[in-house]
Amino acid sequence: MAALLEIKDLVTAYGRIEALRGVSLQVEQGSITCLLGPNGAGKTTLMMTTAGILRPRSGSIRFAGSEIAGAAPHRIVERGIALVPENRLVFPHMTVLENLRAGAYQRNDAGGIVTDIDRMFARFPRLKERAAQEGGTLSGGEQQMLSVARALMSRPKLMLMDEPSLGLAPLVVEEIFGIIAELHRDGTTIFLVEQNAHMALRVAHHFYLIEQGRITFSGDPGSLAEDEVIHRAYLGSAKV
Amino acid sequence: MDEYSVGVLTNIGLFSFLALSAYLLLIAGEMSFGQQAFFGVGAYAGGVLTAIYGVPLPLAALAAMASGALAAVLIGLPTLRLRGLYFAMATLAAAEMARILFELLHFQREIGGALVGPDGTQGFRGIRWVFERGVEPLEYLAIVYGLLFIILVAFVRIERSHLGVTLRSIGADPELAASLGVDVNRLKLGVAAAAGALAALGGVLFAHHNTYIEPRNFDIMLGVHSLAYALIGGLGTAFGPLLGVLVDLGLLEGTRVFQGYRMIVFGGLVAVLLVFRPRGLLDERVVHWIHARAFKRP
Amino acid sequence: MLADLVQNTLDGLTAGAAYALLAVGFTLIFGVLRRVNLSYGAAILFGVYFATWTSLHFQADLLVLALLTIAATVLAGAYVERLCFAPHYPSRGSPRAGASSGSIAAMVASFALWMQFEEAAILALPQHLYAFPPLHTGEPLRFGQFFLRVESLYLLLAAVAVCALLYTILYRTRFGLAVRAVVDVPVAAQLAGINLSSVFVRIFALASAIGGLAGFLIAASHEQVTPMLGMWSTVKGMLAMMLGGLGSLPGAVAGGLVLGLVEAHSQWYFGPQMRDLIAYLLIFVLLALRPAWMTRWTSTRSAS
Repeated sequence: MAALLEIKDLVTAYGRIEALRGVSLQVEQGSITCLLGPNGAGKTTLMMTTAGILRPRSGSIRFAGSEIAGAAPHRIVERGIALVPENRLVFPHMTVLENLRAGAYQRNDAGGIVTDIDRMFARFPRLKERAAQEGGTLSGGEQQMLSVARALMSRPKLMLMDEPSLGLAPLVVEEIFGIIAELHRDGTTIFLVEQNAHMALRVAHHFYLIEQGRITFSGDPGSLAEDEVIHRAYLGSAKV
Repeated sequence: MDEYSVGVLTNIGLFSFLALSAYLLLIAGEMSFGQQAFFGVGAYAGGVLTAIYGVPLPLAALAAMASGALAAVLIGLPTLRLRGLYFAMATLAAAEMARILFELLHFQREIGGALVGPDGTQGFRGIRWVFERGVEPLEYLAIVYGLLFIILVAFVRIERSHLGVTLRSIGADPELAASLGVDVNRLKLGVAAAAGALAALGGVLFAHHNTYIEPRNFDIMLGVHSLAYALIGGLGTAFGPLLGVLVDLGLLEGTRVFQGYRMIVFGGLVAVLLVFRPRGLLDERVVHWIHARAFKRP
Repeated sequence: MLADLVQNTLDGLTAGAAYALLAVGFTLIFGVLRRVNLSYGAAILFGVYFATWTSLHFQADLLVLALLTIAATVLAGAYVERLCFAPHYPSRGSPRAGASSGSIAAMVASFALWMQFEEAAILALPQHLYAFPPLHTGEPLRFGQFFLRVESLYLLLAAVAVCALLYTILYRTRFGLAVRAVVDVPVAAQLAGINLSSVFVRIFALASAIGGLAGFLIAASHEQVTPMLGMWSTVKGMLAMMLGGLGSLPGAVAGGLVLGLVEAHSQWYFGPQMRDLIAYLLIFVLLALRPAWMTRWTSTRSAS
């Protein structure tokens, strides 16, 4: 059976600089797939290209059998993909409630939206406390939860998450990964980009290593010694 | 060449000074809606010096350039920290203030039985230094283009030099330039002064070509036009703004085909052009391509 | 003395209401698209001239003329949006490269269309001055020794109504939520599934409609139109927008009212030339000093 997300030979460039040099990978339905790699390797570029914010120069991205490479971001949300971006990008001047409503922008079922908002508040009680507060006043961890909740409001089939643990305290990171595990249990497919290889490997079913715009390893956790993975995730595999 | 064509060509040359003035600031990263003020300062200063005090034109022109530079620094100093639209609006406000000051300027002296000098909104007539010396239109055209040529040579040499690179770097990324040790503020003021002097030179030549100037000549339209010329012609080279002026004044005015519809045609052309060439005709990429071809090593 | 002060304040608020409407239109486009639309005033001129032409050739009542002005301005605005702004919307692929050259290209293109609209207007109606049907025939309202022209009341009411309408749209509709999201963090708005292009088109139409309304009210309260309306609206609108702090809608309204008040009082004590001089001086000084409230709205976003 074809994977939910299939990326083939994807090339994305900024002017002359190629950030992605022919990336190929697959995300199986119902799995938690992880992309690890050092800074600047192309992780965020890959996420942004899949979400439609960046347009690839060449290559293919197939989601549930349809080609989506180069499509506009709102079309990609329509298809059922939601990205929780690096640095959260909550709407700082809008309330928590409005942030959630924005995530549901494309939906027309007012009743369903209300139900989902209640669900988010049940899952993220601290967001409920701050429902009328502006997004910019939340702490880092709360913003991360808001960003995840906002993405969930579109009821995506595939969640893309770009470094959800970035800049967060260890306890909060545990919480976030707990939520990731929960989402998986509820049937959402998750494609996760992380620098925190240790946490990521604990939840992932499959992982890829990306270095300098190319996939350099693909396998299950355990197929590579963890400290080698961590080494390559932070520093790359170039011999010094 | 008939007198009409000579007139059109002279105007192209004169407004090129103004377009180059806007271009210089654009390179350094600032968009100005107000270069017409310095054009006006040069026109009035030069006109007063030759018509009232009998100063020879070359000397008056130098003085006009100095006044343009001074005025530019006066406006440039308080607006140094402004960027983008804020700076543009400040220049617009300053230029309009200048224009209103021209409207309030009454400075006349009796020369040879007649009152000569700026008379507020009535304008300033009798700037006849050039005509009194029997300079033919064609000769004046040569003077204008001669000066323009010298300025273009200066531009080309500066573009290739370290100064030129530094200027463009300020325009592209001022924070980066500052972090590399460039005194951004001082350089910007210098550019502003040079641009002011350049526009003023155009102004004094304009005044002596027309023999009559009025505050209305130096309105916002002139300023936005000169900015547009620089942006349409392209920011890759000093020939860009000239091309912009040529396209507007030359092709459309000179052919007289689009009498009455000139701005409709020109406006449409510009908008369509910008869809395909957002950085103008002679943008950095085209210029680079031309250089690579023209100076190909065998 | 006091009587003059009050009367000038009333007159200033009236002019200020017109400036406020113009500034709101500029601000909507600048705040959401992050671009300056230099053809805004000229599109209003186009709309008003269309209505003028109609009133010269047909019997049309004021409401029809108002609707015609608004419709023609929206049409002109749509033309501008498609030709000058849509081709330069932040493109995907190179996040840094096209950002500001796109905005400058859009601005210059809009200036080019300003030229088009003005020439088209002058070709259609070549005279320097045309009569426009009056908004109100009859006596101004008297409050003791103070006069308030009824036209002024219309302008002030229109300004209030537009503000209320905008508030409702922005805070009570899904479209408004999308607009605020786009203004806040455009990339996040896209990720939430908001179609930027569609938001831009609708904001443009809204801004044009407000401009058309402003143009109609200005023409009808002055009972005349001149080709200078284009330049005049552009300059006043942009000055008022600047005064109130770029990108802020309440600021635009406040800026417009302040500009109107400054002008009215300056003109009374110093005459028309000084009136303009003082207004420009005020803007220049404010920009030079650049107090925090002026840049509050653009501190995280560039103004170019």
